[in-house]
Amino acid sequence: MRLVLERRAETPLALRIGSPLLAVALTLLSAIVIFAALGHDPWRALHIYFVMPLSDSWGLQEVAVKATPLVLIAVGLALCYRSNNWNIGAEGQFLVGALAGSWLALATHGAPDGPWLLPAMLACGALGGALFALIPALLKTRFGANEILTSLMLVYVAELLMDWLVRGPWRDPHGFNMPQTVIFEPEATIPLLMEGGRLNIGTPLMLLVVALMAVLAARTLKGFEIRLVGEAPRAARFAGFSETRLTWTVFALSGALAGLAGILEAAGTVRQLQPAISPGYGFTAIIVAFLGRLNPVGCLVAGVFLAITFIGGENAQILLRLPLDVTRVFQGLLLFYVLACDTLLLYRVRLVRGAAA
Amino acid sequence: MTLSRRSLMAGAGALAGATALNGPAATPALAQGAPLNVGFILIGPVGDFGWSTMHDQGRRRMLEVLGNRVTATQVESVAPPDFDRVATQLVRTGARLIFTTSFSYFAPTQRIAPQHPNVMWESATGTATGPNLAIYNARFYEGRYVQGVIAARKSRSKTIGYVASFPVPEVIHAINTVMRGAWSVDPQMRIRVVWVNAWFNPGREADAARALMDQGCDVICQHTDSPAPLQLAEQRGNVFGFGQASDMTRFAPRAHLTSSVNNWGDYYAERARLLLEGNWRPADTWGGLGSGMFRLAPFTNMTPEEVSEATRIRDALAAGTLHPFDGPIFRQDGTQVIAAGQRLTDDQIRAMNYFYQGIDVAMP
Repeated sequence: MRLVLERRAETPLALRIGSPLLAVALTLLSAIVIFAALGHDPWRALHIYFVMPLSDSWGLQEVAVKATPLVLIAVGLALCYRSNNWNIGAEGQFLVGALAGSWLALATHGAPDGPWLLPAMLACGALGGALFALIPALLKTRFGANEILTSLMLVYVAELLMDWLVRGPWRDPHGFNMPQTVIFEPEATIPLLMEGGRLNIGTPLMLLVVALMAVLAARTLKGFEIRLVGEAPRAARFAGFSETRLTWTVFALSGALAGLAGILEAAGTVRQLQPAISPGYGFTAIIVAFLGRLNPVGCLVAGVFLAITFIGGENAQILLRLPLDVTRVFQGLLLFYVLACDTLLLYRVRLVRGAAA
Repeated sequence: MTLSRRSLMAGAGALAGATALNGPAATPALAQGAPLNVGFILIGPVGDFGWSTMHDQGRRRMLEVLGNRVTATQVESVAPPDFDRVATQLVRTGARLIFTTSFSYFAPTQRIAPQHPNVMWESATGTATGPNLAIYNARFYEGRYVQGVIAARKSRSKTIGYVASFPVPEVIHAINTVMRGAWSVDPQMRIRVVWVNAWFNPGREADAARALMDQGCDVICQHTDSPAPLQLAEQRGNVFGFGQASDMTRFAPRAHLTSSVNNWGDYYAERARLLLEGNWRPADTWGGLGSGMFRLAPFTNMTPEEVSEATRIRDALAAGTLHPFDGPIFRQDGTQVIAAGQRLTDDQIRAMNYFYQGIDVAMP
């Protein structure tokens, strides 16, 4: 008697919704076991981990601040992945966006001028990210280069560019030689939305983008084109859709969103450029995109969930004196379970009696 | 470049005012008899075997000394962009004394301290105090001087390799002091520097050390926190190195010469005690070998003559009869900073932004 996995002809809706929930449930179950093994009251630990970040205005704002770049990048990536374009370089597009937007902030530093500055910075950031993302698109459509490799390699180019700028030409002359720029002028800083927290206009912007993307994906011809090219490229060709043009479109869009996230982070949360400006948002967003089933609203949910595990992990360090590694174990477990549950989506488990292997 | 501390402070103050980042929850008053909650923010992982490990041990020592009068909370590997959130969360969960243990946190600590006037802040290797902000550091350069002397005795290629983190004054004056110590033995000595641009990154630290060894450096100094450069020296053989922050003999039994061993525990216990008794002041503490804030690990892989020379110099530094920043001091380009008979002040040392002659690298 043995278990076999059989490919499903189609996936029922209940399973598609149930599978990520099952993954979260299994993660929580594992969390309970781990907390108990570490000698902590599991309920209190879970409360600190998953409920406390959401239990007051400050915590909610911090979760939103953390989720904003993740979701912005992830919705762009979701479009790419749906159309079979594998943009792995969002981290680089994030950094180039931050650089492009900050260039304006630094150029006007000391004499900021007018309310046009901030919108112009955001536009520059999006444009920078988009142009940087078009490099792998060009290499793919013109030379057939694998975009997974080129986009990933360009991340290192962006990191080194950032490193060089903040250590060299853009370094703060009064910064004790630390590799960082001046703190931006208030005019070049993203305005905060509320007293007593760090929520800024980046979050409503992100929600707007999610809504637009949801409409684009579900209700427009472009959205249909993206799905069709991804799922049935031959049919898409017969329908007259150009794969090349679509590759350019989705790379530019996802690059622009990553770049926007970059300049929002630079001018909002960090208020200067420094090499450590991104704790790997561009890579974590890949996880968010898949966790969210490559669906804009799903990305929003997944981004918020991942943000909670970050903030909850810090709370656990502070209140339970748990080591940082436990947080990382949870994030790893979550991914592991998501992928495992995906198997249930695509395959059916069947018990086969008596058959030889 | 002259450092204008005033302009830095004014900038930080204006920023704090402009963004009005006030924590919503008032800090709970310390009830009579309730333990003092002390927070620690670490730049690296507790297990870096160097800088952050020693702050962790300092925290343990403080708990040992003060027993149930204090509790301690520690957050490790906090990237500078995450500092504000972690510090605010520590305040919100009741910390009344917070040690921010990296120079990378100095500017953020200066920015956040005025927003929480009821919380006392202490910035390790910071360079300016505030109404509720103290700074503390050890005169590690005294140990660097001894390293320079030993390196000059050990090196056959007359070239010291230096794995450096960031070109901040703390690191620059350390490199200069190694040069000074080495010169006191042999004016032919030279130093090569590689910047890693990280406080803790074992991979890059090892790469830097490898590059230096390939260029002929046979004694490696490091101003980064992992044992990786020392381990590489052990692998190579015929290359020596010094441990950083903790006694790193066990990582390189055949390459290790000595380590600078930090001891923050007594300072932490003292500061917490002062706050408990209501006598905490925003002090500027900079303790040398004589203060017990750090010591040198036992000398290894050295001849008895080398050991006795190193011991003599260490003791002279501790007693204050030998001073590493006595003139004459010359910059890389040969211009004189101070003449013989003069000595750099503490503020001049803390703002040092030039290399001495004999250091084979341009200021980045």
